[in-house]
Amino acid sequence: MIEIKDVQKSFNGQSVLKKVSLQVEDGDVVAVLGPSGSGKTTFLRCINFLEHADAGELSIGPKTVDLNRASKREILAVRRKTAFVFQNYNLFNNKTVLENIMEGLVTARKVPVKAAREKAEESLVWVGLKEKRDAYPAQLSGGQQQRVGIARAVVLEPEVILFDEPTSAMDPELVGETLEVIRKVAHRGITMIIVTHEMSFAREIANKVVFMDGGVVVEEGTPEEIFGHPKEERTKKFLSRFINAESMYYI
Amino acid sequence: MEFNAVYFWESLQSGLTYLPRTMELTGIPILCGFVFGILFAVVRVYKVSFFSPLIAVFVVIYQGLPTVVALLIFNLMFMANFNAVSSSLSLGITAAQIDNIWIGIVVLSLQAICNIEEAFRGAFYSVDNGQHAAALSVGLTEVQTLRRIILPQMLPVALPMVTNNIVGIIKNSSIVVAIGITEVLAGASIPASKTYSFLESYIAAALIYWVLTACVEYTFRRIELRGRKYRRQLA
Repeated sequence: MIEIKDVQKSFNGQSVLKKVSLQVEDGDVVAVLGPSGSGKTTFLRCINFLEHADAGELSIGPKTVDLNRASKREILAVRRKTAFVFQNYNLFNNKTVLENIMEGLVTARKVPVKAAREKAEESLVWVGLKEKRDAYPAQLSGGQQQRVGIARAVVLEPEVILFDEPTSAMDPELVGETLEVIRKVAHRGITMIIVTHEMSFAREIANKVVFMDGGVVVEEGTPEEIFGHPKEERTKKFLSRFINAESMYYI
Repeated sequence: MEFNAVYFWESLQSGLTYLPRTMELTGIPILCGFVFGILFAVVRVYKVSFFSPLIAVFVVIYQGLPTVVALLIFNLMFMANFNAVSSSLSLGITAAQIDNIWIGIVVLSLQAICNIEEAFRGAFYSVDNGQHAAALSVGLTEVQTLRRIILPQMLPVALPMVTNNIVGIIKNSSIVVAIGITEVLAGASIPASKTYSFLESYIAAALIYWVLTACVEYTFRRIELRGRKYRRQLA
């Protein structure tokens, strides 16, 4: 189980996260929704210390760390239990596809090169990019880059994968293939927290939905509760366009 | 004005015998520039407390100092104070025993460090922040991130600027004649003191510098092309 408690963060005196908490059971797929600037991404980045929170606690399994006062070793330990999929992919530009996937295994986790290569190749087949193993990121499309990004995260066998708007930077044609791979990750039973604007995808894949606005969690519940019967006015308003669009299908 | 090929040849030979001096005068500064340039750039990019502002101040002050002025100041300070310092430390050597090429090397080294530090610092900022975040996210330490992800990406960016700096240092090294250090330019002028064939001497020196810098540019161009194989090819 992963428990995140009372995360606070401000940038230059402007409060971005005001005591945000979240509980994630093993195997959960949590979708975090909300308008731009609601603090979703910052929240996600605080979980693996890409952003240094002002306060808060994080428990992964039995171990609890203070998000503000964690030592370098604690931070590294948390990072080695988590993986991150970025909005703009952030594949290592100077490394090939295969090297990208192997980097965390070989350098951080000290897996022998041969074993790491086998695992990396396996994961490449899994995301359907076997033939691109020796390509550099600059030679791939956005969708392909993100699939490599997902393989790079999955291969580490983390306790949780954090997805930060994984399809936001893609053109609509490439979104489908990427969501397909994320769906496969979910079916593998890997715990995930996904920040996304893909509403119908969130509804389909998540078993828990969190709606954030203005640095707080406004409402959380099952997809059915949030999309079907949102209680808060703010949630209703945010989802109205999406729900209206969906009901159009039935007209 | 006539051009005498024989005098030219004599000057060229005389200049070439001093080529090792010029190499010393530029090689050591370039080496220092690389080592401390990268180190200082890292310190400034990572905003290491105390050292980062210290280096920033040093760079600002030294960058604003013309090489000739630096040479004259350092030379004068050396001449005026070395003997006193030497005897107080009982080193048993006097200023006259020390080759003044070292003053040139120190002055040019400091200059090289400043220039190359700035080139590397600029190149550091060209590497996207996301690369750093991604490396940390797969569990790399800061040092591993720097060594395996950031440096390999910033070096190809820095290289054209650094090449330019190195060429600048080589050309700039001729300015040490101001404090009487004999290198390629002064060496090539030696025959002219008898024959008054100064034009031939200067052109001989120019030729040596030109070949030297052309070699440097060619070498670095090759390294540059190898270092960016991962970049998208432009046409």
